[in-house]
Amino acid sequence: MNNGHFSRYAPKSSIDIGVFLCKCGGNISDTVDIERLSSSIDAKVVKEFENLCSIKCQKNIRDIILEEELDRAVIAACSPITHEKTFRNHVAPLNPYLLEMANIREQCSWVHSDVDKATDKAISLTNAAIERVKYARPLDTIIRKTKKSAAVIGGGISGITTALSLAKQGIKVHIIEKSPTVGGNMIKIGKVFSPEKLAEECALCLFNPLINEAVQHKNINIITNAELKSSIRKTGNFNLLVERKATYVKEDKCTACGNCTEVCPVDVPNEWNEKLMMRKAIYKPFPQSVPDAYTIDKENCIKCGKCVKVCAMNAINLKMKRELIPLDAGSVVIATGHKGFDLKKRPEYGYCRYEDVITQMELARIMGVNGPTNGKLLRPSDGKIPGRVVMIQCAGSRDDKPEGKRYCSKVCCMVALKHASFIRHYYPDTEIIICYTDMRTPGMYENYFRYVQSKEVKLLRGRPGEIFNKGDNLVVRVEDTLNGELTDIETDIVVLSEAMEPSEGTLKVAETLNVGLTEDLFIKEKHPKIRPVTTDVEGIYVCGTAQGPKDITESVSQANAAASKVSEIINGGLEIEPTIAEINHSRCSMCGNCISACKYKAIYMYDEHMSVDPVSCTGCGICISKCEHNAVEIMGQTDAQIHAMIYGMLKDKKDDEQRILAFVDYIGYVASDNMGINRISYPESVRIIRISSINRLMPKHIMFAFENCADGIFLGEYPDDIMYPAIQEKVHEIRSELIKNSIDPDRLMYYKVYAPYFRGLANKLIEFDKQVSKALDKLEAVLYKASSKDL
Amino acid sequence: MKKIPDKDILLFKSCLVNVEYPGVESSTKFLFDKLGIEYITSEKQSCCTGLGHYADLFDQFSTSALAARNFGIAREEGHKNLATLCATCYAILKKSANILNKKDDVRNRINKIFEDSNIPDLTYNAEDMDSRDNIFHVAEILFNKAGEIEDLVEIDLSGFRVASHHACHYCKVHHNDTIGNVRDPMVIETLARACGVEIVEWYDRKTSTCGNGFRQRYMNKELSFLVTSEKLISLKENKVDILLHMCPNCQLQFDRNQKVIGESLEVEFNIVCLNISQFLALALGADPYRVVGVQTHTVPVEPVLDKIKQINSCFEV
Repeated sequence: MNNGHFSRYAPKSSIDIGVFLCKCGGNISDTVDIERLSSSIDAKVVKEFENLCSIKCQKNIRDIILEEELDRAVIAACSPITHEKTFRNHVAPLNPYLLEMANIREQCSWVHSDVDKATDKAISLTNAAIERVKYARPLDTIIRKTKKSAAVIGGGISGITTALSLAKQGIKVHIIEKSPTVGGNMIKIGKVFSPEKLAEECALCLFNPLINEAVQHKNINIITNAELKSSIRKTGNFNLLVERKATYVKEDKCTACGNCTEVCPVDVPNEWNEKLMMRKAIYKPFPQSVPDAYTIDKENCIKCGKCVKVCAMNAINLKMKRELIPLDAGSVVIATGHKGFDLKKRPEYGYCRYEDVITQMELARIMGVNGPTNGKLLRPSDGKIPGRVVMIQCAGSRDDKPEGKRYCSKVCCMVALKHASFIRHYYPDTEIIICYTDMRTPGMYENYFRYVQSKEVKLLRGRPGEIFNKGDNLVVRVEDTLNGELTDIETDIVVLSEAMEPSEGTLKVAETLNVGLTEDLFIKEKHPKIRPVTTDVEGIYVCGTAQGPKDITESVSQANAAASKVSEIINGGLEIEPTIAEINHSRCSMCGNCISACKYKAIYMYDEHMSVDPVSCTGCGICISKCEHNAVEIMGQTDAQIHAMIYGMLKDKKDDEQRILAFVDYIGYVASDNMGINRISYPESVRIIRISSINRLMPKHIMFAFENCADGIFLGEYPDDIMYPAIQEKVHEIRSELIKNSIDPDRLMYYKVYAPYFRGLANKLIEFDKQVSKALDKLEAVLYKASSKDL
Repeated sequence: MKKIPDKDILLFKSCLVNVEYPGVESSTKFLFDKLGIEYITSEKQSCCTGLGHYADLFDQFSTSALAARNFGIAREEGHKNLATLCATCYAILKKSANILNKKDDVRNRINKIFEDSNIPDLTYNAEDMDSRDNIFHVAEILFNKAGEIEDLVEIDLSGFRVASHHACHYCKVHHNDTIGNVRDPMVIETLARACGVEIVEWYDRKTSTCGNGFRQRYMNKELSFLVTSEKLISLKENKVDILLHMCPNCQLQFDRNQKVIGESLEVEFNIVCLNISQFLALALGADPYRVVGVQTHTVPVEPVLDKIKQINSCFEV
């Protein structure tokens, strides 16, 4: 074999290898002739054992390594998935990664019955391990330390909940809130529904204690009027830059006496009250705002200076500039919440045309005791109490038309019922009709639904087509789909149950932090079932409505989950296996191909270097294929090691023998072991090689195999959502290379493997073995014909 | 928003326009000339077959074959951007273009017919026409030039209340290519605003169909007229003088049937129905009879012309 051909990591001129063979109490030795195997191996030390996994034998291994001064170890026994970790520990004083295992049980003695052939294959597998271990290099486990601090973006119920949980675990938290006050949407709602009570609870009464706790907690720092400007990511840490708006009011000096607001000449629609009433340019969003300080709205302030004159505390500085605050955080939690669907996109509902068509959020503000009408239900147009209210569900949700949201916003049915219940209680003369598509009140909420129905709230199944006006009143045009009749309902007020969509802050933060979004533009979880609240960027988590429509109960649960995830890495610490990508900075040209190729977002630029995040990197190797400067290697799976393994598997191949190399990923390897565990046979020609992913292979590896007389190449990988398209591309690339080099593409096969479907895998291997034979027969015939022509 | 061209345009003739309101075509040409839009019409063009197709007389295959023929002619004439005067042509040509681009078997069968008929030059290759980039409605071409139209207005039309009826086949069929909101496009409003006229931005039943329904006005006359009457009543309540259209089907429905519907309801309607091209042509000083063709209308346009003359002394009738 040509050393220069392999790679820059040439082995020492003489490496002393110890090979340890296990009889496995007969499981291996009954089918594989251990004596013949032992004598066919070329290594400094070759020893046989009854049960390598027993404590006595493990001690033996260590003694032999020390006595014989071995440099590497090979263990030919059961599957590495069973005992590799244990054996790695027992080759001390050798570095754990200077061990290679050959699977001669699950993938040899348990699947083949012919003793000769099984032994030949066992020799082959052991040789492969020996060749590969020559190129092994010592590697150390990576220990990742994360800074004991977190940044929570968004100060609503989710943000505050997660911050409190983190603070109680000793982690320093910074809450970054865009508006002048914390509280988010929950604080605007007034009354909230409950899964256990048949009554509505006061949102502020539930939330205020949490806010107070957060304000007073020594580990929590709340920054309002602030937005995340930029973020630099390093392994385990985020360098954040937060921009604090110029509010012209010194928060620490302001006592919130309110003198300034009385003299301010500028009126602005109050966004906190859904623009249903006015505020001044210097204002506090609502009386219970936290922090309890006034703020100036820079866009509307005319800088007349009247407020400065009346401020006894000298808290106003009209020359204040915006502030840039750098923060270091070990983790980031996105809790940026949601906003309501823009009803202007449904002109037939007349949201902007008629004053008395309002959203559920606007209704919540009207009925809130700290709202524009001090809690009285009054028509916006004439201030009278309405005799009838029609609510329209699914305004923007479950909507296939352009700009509509196809999903269900989950909470609107309960919100409508809650408001209906409240109105019926305080205004018994007001009639309520809810036009619904489906009433979605799952679990205990169904009890609440029945309770509200008992209050004589009318339900009409049908989505109204349009709203028009008749004099002072509104008319809702709807089909009652239960009896197929078209109805015109005259009413005083129409309330639209608006869809929930991601807030602007959510979209902005996703861009700044480079976090993935779903089709519906909510923050995407790595896997909603088994990896919730985790985004596709390691160290960044999400909770609340920024992740998707949900109610307060669920948001609080999710917020606590996010806090626990953050705590896992900060308090738990992480030990990571070193079999990940490593970048050679002297060769790297900073082209960034690797960054775009990596679907796990494991590579990023930091301080003018490309860095690899060891937690995110799975060692799949797709970056290597895209690097044009040969600057990336996967530790423990270098090109040299791959070539060595291929060479070893094909060494000493006889002329009439057929050998197929099967490259499989972890799931494929588990399926292969399962074939053994279930004693399912397949041809001895198949030699299984474990790789991190097919994406690690390149045409050069496959061509090397064919050059060394491989008869067929089998590729088996689990079709993971993220990587599948890349796998397909890779297989196509390899196939093209074969065709280019006049190799029959029938000698290559790709198969989607699933761990439990090992019978399928066995059948496929049998089929492929036959397919390869046929291809070779064809080749022989062609060559024979060609050579006979020459004669 | 999609990119709207102002050259290489084939002004696609409409059968219904030519038969019922030829003034729509001559007004459009008048406007295009004034705005410097580069266009041609072709004598080789055939009907889009929309009316027959929606009356279940022609199947989709035949309609698409004729569309392929028209596309071929557009290419031959070197003017690939189609601008239709009628919303039915608009939607049906777009649909045919999508079918021809995506369904290989249909395209191949049609090309075979061209070959067998000895007109191989018309062979349609996939992606020859793009529904979004090559097929437009005249109102869109004009919408693109709303700013220039404003500068060219000569006649003061401010004394009228106008409302729009955006054709269903323009806004509701190919959602993604409609300019503005699918249910309330405001294309006509934008153009009307350029003339400084008072616009009723919303009236009850605005998003309803005109009621024409292609053959519904014959087969289901009662239902068809019921729908139209609802719209007329709403327009009357909003004191609308002129209803602006972008499709001859709608214009026909409202114009020809207005008196009959009114009599059956014992209500008098006097809503003049003009295509947006006709309206704009009037604003830019076109001759009401020779260019705008008001003599073909059933609801008399003369009262409108008289009022215009009162305000604009230079207006010649």
